[in-house]
This record gives sequence, structure tokens and C-alpha cells, in this order.
Amino acid sequence: MRILSFNRRFLIAALAAAVAAPLIAAEQVDVAIVVRPDLPIDNLTFAELRRVMRGDRQFWTSNLRVTLLVRAPVARERDIVLKTIYEMSEAQFRQYWIAKVFRAEAAAGPRIVYSNEMSAELVAAMPGAIAVVDASQVPKGLKVLRIDGHLPGEKGYPLR
Amino acid sequence: MLGLVLLAAVPVSGLAQANDPATKELIEKLLARIDSLEKRVNQLEQANPSARAATTPAPAAMVALPATQAHAHDQAPTPTVAAAEAAQPTYPLLKISGFSDFDFSAVNLHGAPAGPFGAQTLLTTHSGFQEGQFVLHFSSALSQKVTAFGELSLTARADAGTGSPAAPGFNTEVERVIIRYDWNDYAKFSFGRYHTPINYWNTAFHHGQWLQTTISRPEMIQFGGSFLPVHFVGGLFEGAVPAGHLNLNYNVGIGNGRGQAISRAGDAGDINNNRAWLINGFIKPDALYGLQIGGSVYRDAINNTAGLAAREWIESAHLIWQKESPEFLAEFANVHHQPSNGGVVSNSQAFYIQSAYRLPGVAKAWKPYFRWEQIHVPRSDAIFRTVVPVFSAATGGIRYDITSFAAFKIEYRNYWRRDLPSFHGIFTQTSFTF
Repeated sequence: MRILSFNRRFLIAALAAAVAAPLIAAEQVDVAIVVRPDLPIDNLTFAELRRVMRGDRQFWTSNLRVTLLVRAPVARERDIVLKTIYEMSEAQFRQYWIAKVFRAEAAAGPRIVYSNEMSAELVAAMPGAIAVVDASQVPKGLKVLRIDGHLPGEKGYPLR
Repeated sequence: MLGLVLLAAVPVSGLAQANDPATKELIEKLLARIDSLEKRVNQLEQANPSARAATTPAPAAMVALPATQAHAHDQAPTPTVAAAEAAQPTYPLLKISGFSDFDFSAVNLHGAPAGPFGAQTLLTTHSGFQEGQFVLHFSSALSQKVTAFGELSLTARADAGTGSPAAPGFNTEVERVIIRYDWNDYAKFSFGRYHTPINYWNTAFHHGQWLQTTISRPEMIQFGGSFLPVHFVGGLFEGAVPAGHLNLNYNVGIGNGRGQAISRAGDAGDINNNRAWLINGFIKPDALYGLQIGGSVYRDAINNTAGLAAREWIESAHLIWQKESPEFLAEFANVHHQPSNGGVVSNSQAFYIQSAYRLPGVAKAWKPYFRWEQIHVPRSDAIFRTVVPVFSAATGGIRYDITSFAAFKIEYRNYWRRDLPSFHGIFTQTSFTF
């Protein structure tokens, strides 16, 4: 049943690709920081976001640990995160997390996700998770955090 | 459809070749195309809900919405069974990583010993290759708030196979073992064997030579050296507070302090009834991302193998720019010894300044560096004068990152020693993590 469902989705995707692919251009939009709606935070300063993403801040509250979800290499969301938040190259980013775990400052690095859908599902399933997704594909039911008071697409939004 | 399957397969195989710019560009284009197609499919599914209803279980809905719209619904989307399972934490969650290095050194000591330098400084009497440390690092989350860390090293022995019984080929050492309870970001408690947090290098690079820019540590904090206590056995209370935008980090510790051989920690117990204690603090201001400034105070009572006893105070400071273009590290420490029998009070100082620069563009794998270091021990310091080298040294070299996980380094060093001839040497190292 599940295989059939997958095939059906795949057929739809293939048809959509055949019809619409030439018409769809890759949109270069902002990336959004998403969390579960029950997270008691709506806004982060860019400096706070950087501390969270760097693993310097590891708790939202005393009973809620931050879980970082980061896209796998070559995804645009990852490139933007590395460029704007970490200010690191891919190699520096890898070394940063190896060193952080080696210094016993974190038990593990970020969890790697391979699509916006996977990000959305894990954020929904994991209290305290935070992910970066394409702002034009924000998962329904998740909360988009304001960064320095701005939402994606607004003037002054830093993640683009 | 076959074309789509092939199209989808390309990025998967291409991940392994992501370092190739042309491949990366192709993968980026394909990923962008897939994301666009996913979005289009979702739009089509929304237009035809019956098609989506047939897919069970459904992933979180991905909808194209105006980028400026915020979403704060009452409930999170229902995760799939697979996602819910993947999200469940499993304890203990053990992760193992390794570090190692192979070295070559050629020094014009002409068979004479270099003096009380640490073995890891590679100042051997004969030129040749050396097997560096083989290091295993363990980290394991035991619960959401409790984590255990361990670091084990195997170091080749110069006296392997000699003596009776014959000495083994390698020394095994538990370098660090820590169990920590994280109450929150502000307060974390731990017990164990640490790299003493009174020196930046000691807590930033540990035994992973690949992590550090240069081949060797500064002598003031060299493994096997005596100037600063490299290891600390006891308990630590640590945390970080925003402190405005300064991000103040702190460590407060109490432990056994130095052993009778002052290069070692009191692993099997303290050698006297005076606990060592330390306070360390540093700031990382938001406004200057990459900057770290800090200082420490350490207090201990020493009873060394020569039967000397003294009170020891250590004050240290560091100034670090953590980025690579440029990278800048500077540390200073003063060690104050007050003999218990009322002898001469002495102060010994050590410092190093190191800078490096990751070259831009196609040369980004290359990172030239330079370090100047110095240790001064007054002749009146009976604790240090036979076990700490008195010297100045200049080191210049270049690091080449072969991959993201392996590096090759070559450097030239010149040493000027008090009352002894100066010498120089060439050193190379291949270091890696796995």
C-alpha cells in the first residue's frame, strides 16, 4: 500500500516535471528559521541565532535542549547558513564541529537533513529542534522565528 | 520517467565529488530544480486534495506561501512514523573519532640532548621519522542532561623492547575522562580528568594535532612539559552567561593539582592535603565575532620528587582571533613559587604569539604561519630550573589541507637557549582525523 502510494506520488511528480519543469526557474529567496509552535520564543537577535547555531547556546529552557538540523552539503540553505551565520567555508564548518565535540563542549554535531520535507518532519517530531528551510516552502504548522524582528522577505532580514 | 530517475540519481553520486566546482554547480542546479519540482507537486496536490489523501502516512505539508508570512499555528504538523522514530533519542549514544599523525624531524643538535623539552616537541638527537600519537575520542550522551567524554592516547616509547621485562612499544594514557551534568547553559557540573582550563591552547586543541595549525604545541603547554599543569583531576563548575553582549564563559574548579612529578596530575590521589583550585573566565563579544579574551588564576601546593615544597600561583591571559584570515593567538602565563621553607620567591614567565593566514581563492588549502615563543625561569626557581627549558624560539611554516580531514605541515624552527648553543631544525607532519 505504501509502495503504491509512493508510486502515485512519483507519477504525479514525473508528470509535474514533464509539464512544469521548463517553466520553473530556481527562485533565490530568503531562508527561514523554523521551530515547533510550542517553543516559547518568537524572535532571536542575529547574535542569539549565531550562538544557537554554533552550539554555544544549547538550551532553550532548562528542560528543553536545542537540536540543530542542518542541510547536507551543496544545499542552498546550508550555503546561506555557513556564509551568513558561521562565516565559514565548508571545510572550516566541518573542522569547527569536530573540534567542538573534541573539546567536550557538545556531545554531537548538528543532525544532517537532506530535504526541506525531512527538516519539517524532524522539527515537528523533536521538541527543541531548529531548522533552516527555503522561505518559499515553509512547512505548514511550524513557527518561523523573527530574526532581529524581521521575517523572511522583509527589509533587514539577514539570512539571504 | 527514466530521465527523472537518472536526474535524481546524479546528486546522490555527486555528493562524493562535491569538492569539484563543476560538479558542485551541477548538483546545486539539480537540487534547485528538485526543490522547485517538489514545490510544484505540492501545489498540484493542494489543488487536488484527493491525490494527497491517498498518500499515507503524509509528511508535513510543504506549501508555497508568501515569504513574509509568519506561521504560528496551535499544533505542529503530524510527523510521519519514520520521522517520529528517528527523532527519538537513544541512550547511551556513543560516538568515536580518531586522530593521529606521522612526523619527520631533522635538528642540528649533533647528538647532544636538547634539554628539558617535552618529547612531543620532536627535538630528537637523530633525524628521522616518528609515529605521533594515536588518539581515540569518545563522546556519549547518557541522557538529555548527562554526557560522558573520554580521550585515550597511545604514544610510541623510545625505550621499547629494552629493560627487563621489556618495555612495551606504546604508552597508553587516559588523557581525559569526564562526566558532566548540564543543568542549563549557565551551569554545568562535571567530574573527571581534564586538560587544565587555564590555557587556551590546552582546551582548544587537546591531542588532535590535525586541529592545530602548527606541528607542535607551544612549549609552555607542551604534553610532558612542566611549566603549566596540563592535566587536572577533580571537579569543574562551568557555564556561559550573555553578560550584555559580551558572552562571559567561566570555569571554577577544585582538584588534586600536580603530582610528585610536576608534569603529571595527581591521578591516583593528591600528594598533600592542599587541593588545587582554579578560576577561568573569558568573553566572546557579539560585536567582534571571532574574538576571545580571557584570563585565569590557579593555586596549588607542590611537593616534587626532589623533596622541594612550595606554594604555586599561576596567572595567565589570552587574546585570540579565531578566524583563519587572519588567525591570531597570544598567551602569557606567570608562575609564582614561594618555597615552604622560606627560600627565595621566584616568578617564571612564558608567552607565545602566533599568527596565520588562510590564503584566498584557489590557494585556500594553504595556510602559512609564524610563532614566537619564550620561557624565562630565574635561576632562583628551584622547582623549575631543571625541568623547564629556558629559551626563545621562532617557528615559520605552512600548512596544506590535503582534504577536509587531513593536513600536511612543514616548518622551520630556530631555538636560542640560555647558557647553551642555539640550534635549528626542519619538521614535517601529516596529521588527520578519522
